[in-house]
Amino acid sequence: MTKYELKIPFFLMWKYLRKGNKWTLFLIIFLMAIAFINLIFITSLFNGIIQASEEQIIDTYTGHIMITPKTGNDFIENSDEIVNKIEGVEKVTGVSSQTYVSGRLEYNRIKGSWPIIAIDPEKEKTVTNVHEKMTSGEYLSPEDTDKIIIGRQIAGGEDVEMDAFSFKDASVGDKVSLNLGQTTKEFEIKGIFFTKFIDTDQRAFITQKAWQEIDSSSENKATSIIVRLNERDGEEAIAKIKAKGIDETFVTWEDVSGLMDTVSSSFLSINVLLTIVGTLIAAVTIFIVIYIDINNKKRQIGIIRAIGIKPYIIRTAYIIQTSIYSVSGVLLGTAIFYGILVPYFNAFPFELPIGDANLVVSPAEYIIRLETIIWVAILSGLIPAFMVTRMKILDAIWGRN
Amino acid sequence: MSEKTLIKVNNITKIYKLGEVEVPALNGVSLEINEGDFLIITGRNGSGKSTLMRQLALIDRPNSGDIFLKDKEVSRMQTKKRRKLRLTRLGYIFQEYALIAELSALENVMLPAMMLRPIKDCRKRAKELLEKMELKDKLNNLPSQLSGGEQQKVAIARSLVNDPEILFADEPTANLDTTAGHEVMEIFKKLSQEGNHTIIMVTHEPEEEVYANRIIRLADGKIA
Repeated sequence: MTKYELKIPFFLMWKYLRKGNKWTLFLIIFLMAIAFINLIFITSLFNGIIQASEEQIIDTYTGHIMITPKTGNDFIENSDEIVNKIEGVEKVTGVSSQTYVSGRLEYNRIKGSWPIIAIDPEKEKTVTNVHEKMTSGEYLSPEDTDKIIIGRQIAGGEDVEMDAFSFKDASVGDKVSLNLGQTTKEFEIKGIFFTKFIDTDQRAFITQKAWQEIDSSSENKATSIIVRLNERDGEEAIAKIKAKGIDETFVTWEDVSGLMDTVSSSFLSINVLLTIVGTLIAAVTIFIVIYIDINNKKRQIGIIRAIGIKPYIIRTAYIIQTSIYSVSGVLLGTAIFYGILVPYFNAFPFELPIGDANLVVSPAEYIIRLETIIWVAILSGLIPAFMVTRMKILDAIWGRN
Repeated sequence: MSEKTLIKVNNITKIYKLGEVEVPALNGVSLEINEGDFLIITGRNGSGKSTLMRQLALIDRPNSGDIFLKDKEVSRMQTKKRRKLRLTRLGYIFQEYALIAELSALENVMLPAMMLRPIKDCRKRAKELLEKMELKDKLNNLPSQLSGGEQQKVAIARSLVNDPEILFADEPTANLDTTAGHEVMEIFKKLSQEGNHTIIMVTHEPEEEVYANRIIRLADGKIA
């Protein structure tokens, strides 16, 4: 190897790119971009669905930590004191105690057993965002004793997934009865909320004050306390809360999202499978494109070899060329993905029963797919380049296979 | 092998396989070529003249027999060594010019030299050769912007860029009109007269035989 010959692959590659057909060049780069988007799109969609479901669980259901009574107990006793203690813990941004009400709701002779939860509306606002999701009426005030808010799946109506099991279009101002076995209390629907998370939208909320009027023994008791943090991981905060002498059962939002865990695992398997298939399709497509390109230049490659240029120089020129194709393709793919697809799906997200899903890619996933497409392109380019530089010079010049 | 013998060919054969059929192209050819010779190999189509030249130019290998360049046997030499000889000591001119479409005239000529010298030197040498070929004002033209005669002159310049001892030309005027063909032959004559190059040319144009000091006629893969 001479020090001069190292320049030749770059020289040849540069000339091929500059003087070659611009449309062919653009189409090859566009193909690489599509192959890259194909690899990244499904992953980002699955990530978006998983992230949407996780955020919905945290924002509308459990917060980051859910505290339930210790084994054998029905209630968390002294819940007000516990809430006060937890509020002082570092990284805690909101705490709300909740009491599950065992009763049935009735409206227009339609009865149903939905989760009915008694809350302190102001405290609840610090943990969940249900108050921001009112589609009609208003959220509860702490002094409300005969008002109830219900989820869209309870209210029912056109386009409601669970309409068959709902109140079939109940509205704000309508009366519903809370049947507690011996007692029945009438509530007015103050508001209807739509969080897009189907589990939350099947809930109803009354104030703790209203519940205490019905069951005076429920004061200072809770069936759960939900806690919001300023970070996603709850383990450290749980340790600090426990250190305050709170001896209840702790679960994180991840523990609660058991169903989504199964879905996430399935998505992961499907994603791996689709990534393998996508990589194979990319490899074969890129191979065909480069093979056709090299095959068209077979005679030229034979001539270059005949005048004494080393085969490795020709192969290197093609490796550099395919690297440039693939890097340009990845850059174009990234521009299309982040410049068009992500903003589009932010504006018009996929609407799913667990919430609105956007496209989400982690830097690690992006880099893995970027590397995959570049290596696949290089290998796919190298194979035909090897084939043509290993054949006899005359066969190459004469265009034989 | 005398002191002046540059190439010695001993009884070489070449058989091409076309599917199941074997086609003998050379059938026991022996010859000697001396330094400074302007040798024309002629014969009918299919007589084996181009095949013989490709064996001598180390582009192909015979099935049997020996080829000596000076005193070195080259037909069974390692591919790498044969490539180096093609680069440094042999120049080859193809019938259809065989220029690289994406490179300018200057760059086409520079290319083989870039294996051995800095780009600046290559550019200088290529420019000199193209000026000699009267293509001074076409240095940056792509092959598609040159006439057939001009392309063949670029191909000749390329074959000369590493100053080879032997020039091989495979029917260099076959695709040219009479005037361009004459110009090209005059270049070969001049190169031969300068005395630095041994020229081996394949042609079936009888009028070109006057340029040679030796003529070999092939028929059915043998020297007639």
